[in-house]
Amino acid sequence: MAHRNEEEGSIGTSMHGVTAKEHVFSFSDQGEDAWSSHSVQSDDPTAMFAFPVDSEHKAKVFKPLSFAKPHMRAFHLGWISFFTCFISTFAAAPLVPIIRDNLDLTKTDIGNAGVASVSGAIFSRLAMGAVCDLLGARYGTAFLLMLSAPAVFSMSFVADAGGYLSVRFMIGFCLATFVSCSYWTSVMFTGKIIGLVNGCAGGWGDMGGGVTQLLMPMVFHIIKVAGATPFTAWRIAFFIPGFLQVIMGILVLTLGQDFPDGNLSTLQKKGDVSKDKLTKVFWYALRNYRTYVLFILYGFSMGIEMTINNVISEYFFDRFQLELHTAGMIAASFGMANFFARPIGGFASDVSARFFGMRGRLWTLWILQTSGGLFCVWLGRATSLPIAILAMMLFSFGVQAACGAIFGIVPFVSRRSLGIISGLTGAGGNFGSGLTQLPFFSSSRFHTADGLSLMGITAMIFTLLVAFIHFPQWGSMFLGPTSDNRTSKEEHYYVAEWTEEEKLQGLHEGSLKFAENSRSERGKKAAPDGTSTPLENENPANV
Amino acid sequence: MCTLHLIKHKSQSKAYSSSSHKPFFHIQIQESMAIKKLLFASLLICSMIQSSHGATKERLFTDLEKGALEITATPSRTGEGVVLAAGIDKLSITWKVSSTATKEPEFKTIKVKLCYAPISQVDRPWRKTENELFKDKSCPHKISSFSYDPTVKTAQSFDYTLERDIPTGTYYVRAYAVDAKDHEVAFGQSTNADKTTNLFSVQAISGRHKSLDIASVCFSVFSVVALLVFFVNEKRKAKIEQSK
Repeated sequence: MAHRNEEEGSIGTSMHGVTAKEHVFSFSDQGEDAWSSHSVQSDDPTAMFAFPVDSEHKAKVFKPLSFAKPHMRAFHLGWISFFTCFISTFAAAPLVPIIRDNLDLTKTDIGNAGVASVSGAIFSRLAMGAVCDLLGARYGTAFLLMLSAPAVFSMSFVADAGGYLSVRFMIGFCLATFVSCSYWTSVMFTGKIIGLVNGCAGGWGDMGGGVTQLLMPMVFHIIKVAGATPFTAWRIAFFIPGFLQVIMGILVLTLGQDFPDGNLSTLQKKGDVSKDKLTKVFWYALRNYRTYVLFILYGFSMGIEMTINNVISEYFFDRFQLELHTAGMIAASFGMANFFARPIGGFASDVSARFFGMRGRLWTLWILQTSGGLFCVWLGRATSLPIAILAMMLFSFGVQAACGAIFGIVPFVSRRSLGIISGLTGAGGNFGSGLTQLPFFSSSRFHTADGLSLMGITAMIFTLLVAFIHFPQWGSMFLGPTSDNRTSKEEHYYVAEWTEEEKLQGLHEGSLKFAENSRSERGKKAAPDGTSTPLENENPANV
Repeated sequence: MCTLHLIKHKSQSKAYSSSSHKPFFHIQIQESMAIKKLLFASLLICSMIQSSHGATKERLFTDLEKGALEITATPSRTGEGVVLAAGIDKLSITWKVSSTATKEPEFKTIKVKLCYAPISQVDRPWRKTENELFKDKSCPHKISSFSYDPTVKTAQSFDYTLERDIPTGTYYVRAYAVDAKDHEVAFGQSTNADKTTNLFSVQAISGRHKSLDIASVCFSVFSVVALLVFFVNEKRKAKIEQSK
């Protein structure tokens, strides 16, 4: 009996597990219940995998230290590709003190190039979900890696501000590996653990922005010692991220696998899957006001993080008269905090949801992001090096944990359009980064220190928008759930995304199941043994 | 405020000043009048060092004696709109102590530096001119540094080839006279007080190399071709499998 697999392959739902507890059933018959078994068993005893798998052959356990194919291998290839792209995108930042002398750049030039470096990914992240559906995760990732590697190599040609900006813009497209990495883990890991898996992949990938601040000055220094003059040495240094990208691209293609059962081109699954209409999925995403709120919010957590990746090394170099590699080390610790900060943010969101439901998640997000903004203001005000470093570390934790916390909320905003909303939220991060770099760090109007403080204040103001995220069934920061009997059911919210004709065809079944499981977002008020109220069908003529 | 500590600390050098030592004294507690004398003496020394430490932090450019050194810098190529090439062209620098110099007995070392003209500082806050000497970033490039010989009264000159890491910009030359404590006491520059005359332009090396360009193209082509090869290969294999 073939399982109707509505998850896999349908455009728009490909992003269905971009972190946090997304209780998505990966198979339609309700007989299997992964939660009731205490020991994790494989649901398909004929499958010969290293880990227990469900009926779709998605792994049910997550063992970070393993490289077993295909699941853990996909995880590692995915996050390392994302990590490599972060290295390339922000590779110029710690070398700016040398580059600005070589290319005769002004502060405006440097700022504009920083904006350009994050802008390309706004569009590539939006398109990436569909690309992965068409080509598979391997080729999606490899295309990004191997087609942006020439842009990295072409830093050796750059002779002026215009060239510098164009090259940074083209390199920036590869940040869409965030999407391809999440897609790949979503098809390899089951819904129950996808939150943790994506939190780790996202956090460890983001670390690349920190590692590059250490790596590039070190490589530059070694090349200089080997005899090259500074204005040549930085160009040679860019070959390292370029090589890394090409190597990762080849590894992904040779060692990786699109799906647990094989590669896209050898599988014949596309034939019997009903795809959701892309236009409809987009429409429901755009109609939901929460999409825009999340877009802005992520812009002031991930966006700020990317902005800091671009400016912080130069800031420490100039303000505190440090050596290039010392400034790089300090800047690196900002990005490296991602290793634990982002997963902790997601975890904090989950823990608060256990007690207070969705309202807890919203408060957690607000607290983390506002404290991030506050410490950013402090960083700008700090005049001594130890205080500046302390402020920066607290700031990095707040802002990165907020990133993890946002993706604790994203999966609940929509079930039908989850993929698009996740992609839009990711794009919002890049948009926010461009938005903060342009006024605060691209002109001589503000000292960089003042720019940091102003950015922190702006972040705190926009974070107040969290209060506007209201779910009728769960409430918001300041309001409780509605008392109306009909609209206060999770089913009403999620099924509202389907038209009557679609409901007649039973296309909304997945949403119904999701709604049932999302009752955990009521917090302690949800029935403790997990039993649910009988499913209500809005349409009596049910399938 | 000077602080006396009973514990001995290792003094640490700070980034901005070479002679910044907060004095920490190791004191053995003994009943003796000598201790009181020692305390008083150390307090005195402490405050003196403090004042010089403070003076180091606040040494201002405006405190220096202007025009104590007369210095001219003649580029190897002159003319209207001539731009010197870094790594190739030279400056011929001639200097002597002005007859009006009052602090001349303090001069120990002469440091000659290449400084940015105002036009090269626009929209570039990392080259800003500041009055506090330790903060000033307008003269970052060292040309030469040599000890001052008070017996030689005539003008001396030397040649300087523009280094290969000099950025593109407009410059002038400034010489600082430094005393035995490594503090600047006087200066002279090759331009006027407004920094408008006798400026010269330098064009930096591009840093590009033919070999680098070729390597870059080769690796880029490899990257794209490798991807296409994998892609086409897999499509072919899939077709073969389907036709079986």
